[in-house]
Amino acid sequence: MADPVSAARRAEALGSRLPPLMVEAERVASTVAQGVHGRRRVGQGDSFWQFRPFVAGDPVNRIDWRQSAKSGQAPAQGWFIRETEWEAAQTVCLWRDSSDSMRWRRGGTTEKGERASLLLLALASLMLRGGERVALMRPGARPVAGRFGLEQIAAALAEPAAAEGLPPSLPLPRHATVVLIGDFLSPLAAIQSLIARLAATPASGYLLQVLDPAEVALPYAGRIRFRGLEREGETVIPRVEAIRDDYGRALKAQQEALAALCVAAGFGFGVHQTDHPPEAALLSLYTALGRT
Amino acid sequence: MIFAAPWVLTALVGLPLLWWLLRVTPPAPRTESFPALRLLLGLRATEETAARTPWWLLALRLVVASLVICGLARPVLDAGAALPGSGPILLVVDNSWAAAAGWQQRVLAIDGILDRAERAGRGVALLTTATDEGGAAPRLIEPTPVADIRTRIAALRPVPWPTDRVGASAALRTWHHPGSATVYVGDGLNDGAYNTFAAALAAVGPMIQVCCDAAPIRVLLPAQNDHEGLTMRLAQVPQTIPTQAVVLAQAGDGRTLARGVIPIPAGAKTASGTIPLPIELRNRLSRLMLEGPASAGAVMLLDERWRRRPVGLLSGDLASADAPFAGALYYLNRALAPFGEVRTGTLSDLIARDLSVLVLADRPVTDSAERTMLAAWIEKGGFLIRFAGPRMAAADADDGLLPVPLLGGDRQLGGALSWSEPAGLAFFPPSSPFAGLPVPAEVKITRQVLAEPGAGLAGHTWAALSDGTPLVTATARGAGHIVLFHVTANADWSDLPLSGLFVDMLRRLTTLSAGVAPSQDATILAPAMTLNGFGSLTPPARAAVGLAGDAFGHTPVSASHPPGLYGPENGRRALNLGNAITTLEAAPIIADARLETLTGDTREQPLGPSLLTVALLLSIVDLFISLVLRGLIRAHVTGPAIAVLLALAAPANALETVENPALATRLGYIVTGDGQVDATSRSGLAGLSEYVNRRTAAALAQPDPVTPGQTDLSLYPLLYWPIVADATPLSDEQTRALNTYMNRGGIMLIDTRNGGTGAGFAPGTTGALRRLTQGLTIPALTPLTTDHVLSHSFYLLNDFPGRFTGDPVWAQQEQDRANDSVSPVIIGGNDWAAAWAVDTSGRYPFATIPGGQRQRTLAYRFGVNLVMYALTGNYKGDQVHVPAILQRLGQ
Repeated sequence: MADPVSAARRAEALGSRLPPLMVEAERVASTVAQGVHGRRRVGQGDSFWQFRPFVAGDPVNRIDWRQSAKSGQAPAQGWFIRETEWEAAQTVCLWRDSSDSMRWRRGGTTEKGERASLLLLALASLMLRGGERVALMRPGARPVAGRFGLEQIAAALAEPAAAEGLPPSLPLPRHATVVLIGDFLSPLAAIQSLIARLAATPASGYLLQVLDPAEVALPYAGRIRFRGLEREGETVIPRVEAIRDDYGRALKAQQEALAALCVAAGFGFGVHQTDHPPEAALLSLYTALGRT
Repeated sequence: MIFAAPWVLTALVGLPLLWWLLRVTPPAPRTESFPALRLLLGLRATEETAARTPWWLLALRLVVASLVICGLARPVLDAGAALPGSGPILLVVDNSWAAAAGWQQRVLAIDGILDRAERAGRGVALLTTATDEGGAAPRLIEPTPVADIRTRIAALRPVPWPTDRVGASAALRTWHHPGSATVYVGDGLNDGAYNTFAAALAAVGPMIQVCCDAAPIRVLLPAQNDHEGLTMRLAQVPQTIPTQAVVLAQAGDGRTLARGVIPIPAGAKTASGTIPLPIELRNRLSRLMLEGPASAGAVMLLDERWRRRPVGLLSGDLASADAPFAGALYYLNRALAPFGEVRTGTLSDLIARDLSVLVLADRPVTDSAERTMLAAWIEKGGFLIRFAGPRMAAADADDGLLPVPLLGGDRQLGGALSWSEPAGLAFFPPSSPFAGLPVPAEVKITRQVLAEPGAGLAGHTWAALSDGTPLVTATARGAGHIVLFHVTANADWSDLPLSGLFVDMLRRLTTLSAGVAPSQDATILAPAMTLNGFGSLTPPARAAVGLAGDAFGHTPVSASHPPGLYGPENGRRALNLGNAITTLEAAPIIADARLETLTGDTREQPLGPSLLTVALLLSIVDLFISLVLRGLIRAHVTGPAIAVLLALAAPANALETVENPALATRLGYIVTGDGQVDATSRSGLAGLSEYVNRRTAAALAQPDPVTPGQTDLSLYPLLYWPIVADATPLSDEQTRALNTYMNRGGIMLIDTRNGGTGAGFAPGTTGALRRLTQGLTIPALTPLTTDHVLSHSFYLLNDFPGRFTGDPVWAQQEQDRANDSVSPVIIGGNDWAAAWAVDTSGRYPFATIPGGQRQRTLAYRFGVNLVMYALTGNYKGDQVHVPAILQRLGQ
């Protein structure tokens, strides 16, 4: 992901097979940006909302002359102003894990962090095409929209940032949609407090766990000294094949606990392995977030 | 096999302990980084089995330990039995001529004895039984450390004379060392005093006798020169089976002139054989030599008896024969005296002694008794040279001693009353003994006697005048010759005696004659060159003294009279080992002696270093395995690493990585093996392909390296072949492939890279080209001209430069209709690839010589023409005829 432009191109190519994504939002975040989510109120927008009689002081150029002519009344009374529905964009906050543990792979698979970035950009591309506003969850990041937004996001992703295992605590727009991509191997308590904080904003969203196949299957054998990537220490396992089942159970417990947390907070949860095609993960994100 | 340090083997007891230690110490764990470490932290395996070292690794390490222990115990293979006794060892070596043939084996056997003595820590005394080169009798060297004896043995050489048994026995009696053992390395010959010597040896103590030579001992006996050839004789120790010996007859410069085989029946002590050899060749022999191991006994030197040729001079005018500048014998004397013995006297006196050549200067033989005597002498091998003169011209009757019948009188050429000019000499006919001598132009003949013309005259003529009349005629009679000079021996009739040619002619005639033995008197002859023990001539040994002339033939060789050549330069006498030997007798084995064989191939070998080397290699393997087990070297890294190592070890033959050359048209270059030349060929052809693609409709892909015999050449329209000086010759398969390629329409551009202005840039390539193309069917070649299709197949060219320019470029001479008139080979030396080469940044790495952009452009144009020629054949050649064809159509 060294070159933000080529990363953006790859992500666009990945997302080009799906239609533009309009995020389903029960309550659109209170932004003033123009978008696709109608507010059922008069305001800025493209869709027709109502005609109302001309009142003195209205700008003349907003008079719908065709409608006024059809009324057949005298000027001033017979004049109508065309009003449109206020359409706002939903703000989607994206975040991906950039810690050291994501910069890892075993064998010929892709690095987890690389896959996470690709999915994030592809999702952003889909949303930008759908007219949504996309923001990265990092201090000082501003929501972007439009065709050139993707490249800004790609450039921001390529910038070195503090290695963080969980998203930082930031003020989010209310009712924003949050998409978190990471391995979520941190202690459950930390993740629980994060989701509780997000749910209190209020915000909803989706949690995607990206795992390397080796992390799922533990394909080691013999006497091995395992060393953590984030200074968690190390442990010597005399026979790794003997604890493979136990490890599988521990991983499953972690994932089940995560799923339970997400359901409780109204979040979606999915698991993606780096040896699977990214399209599968993107499709699940699309269906989970998309307005049907 | 023995162990020199057996106590080290006790360490083998510790191996089980090592096994136990290795077994309980698990290998260090592999280290892996793992993101989900937190999930692993709480896990403990239900079955807690200690990781163990794999059994095969254990076995490997135990083998390494065993090898180290065994290696340190210094095992020695083929060490032989221990030496008897406990005191010093007396080493008795026969270093006579008979030991020379097996000297190498003797030195090896002695080395083995010394090894054993050194291990046992025993001193060694040395007794060499032959008189040394200073003439001193055999003398004991008292026991010294083995290292000193080794240097003495290394310096010891066999001498060319027999052993001194009596002196050796006397020396043995001075030996007083209790507990000593004797090792006797004998020469296997029994001379008179052998039994005394054996008794003296046996008296010393327990003995080992190292015996015996594989080849029988032989000595050449004096050869005899008789009418039909050379009879060689030899003596050898009697063998139970028939054998044969090969004798080489060698000239003074070492060339072998003849080879003879002497069959030796079983049990025979002497044998003889004959080499049929013409007398001319026999006169050039300087030695006979037995084929086989070199020794002084295998050489028989031949002396002046084989070459000495006294010349007798006799003139018709006895009174003034020696008058300076005018006498008949004056010039003959001066021509012959420096090279041989010249005698004068009456005819009967001369013939009574041994005489090789008789010169009669204008002396008719009128007396019938003389005539009979001369005829008999010639029949036996005498060589008669006659000179004409006024007396011979005046004598009417043929005296029967002329090679050809003569016309009466003489013929005058030139002079005051003659129209004719004095005649010069014609070149000597190849069959003449004078053939090859230069003919000086200043030699003029003014008078001569004439031979009667006849059919056989030309066959008898050895030299003639420029008008064809014979100057020297000759005939063979019996074993001898008669030669007639048709002029006088002084300057009256011709300039011939004044020229150097006269001397050369007489020398050649003398060498044709048979040699006789010199007189034998009691003059002391000093040694000039003597043989060493291996039969090569060296400067005389220190102790060599002169020998009386009449003592040769029966004096036995010794330190004071070593075999060799004695006497002055022109009267050498040879003293040979075989002169005083009649038979050889084998020495019996000494009773009570322990026998050891003298075969030389059972040299002891210490095994320790090899074992330690194997242990070291296995340790490296063990280290490698350990690293793999610990994960420091990944298996998937190891595989390629081993592959890379194997690829480095294997000859780099992976140049041709072309997938499918049939998919595009491309040029090819023949891989020479010289990296720089191949790189130049590649970039040159790439540059040319790019130029062709830019300028013409042809589309060429990147060029390919090709190896004839491996690559399918049929896919390449044009091959570029740079010649390197050290090119390996083509194999049969490669030659066949290239011939097939040329026969089927392929074109090869062969470049010696040293043409014109580039002469000297690639030395030796012209010779290499000649060597390489030996098997190729290169047609007759002609220089390329502007008429050739190559000069106008695309561009119009006047010359064909590459990096160099100036030399002609060669193509097939005849237009071969079968091959569309396309020359299968273009040969030149202009280093075209260097001119075409373009590097990666688009620059030209090689400057053109003499230079200029124009030359490079022309070089490219030649390349384009060549590609077009290869692709379209003689198409452009046909275009030349278009106007003519159109004109014919119009009519």
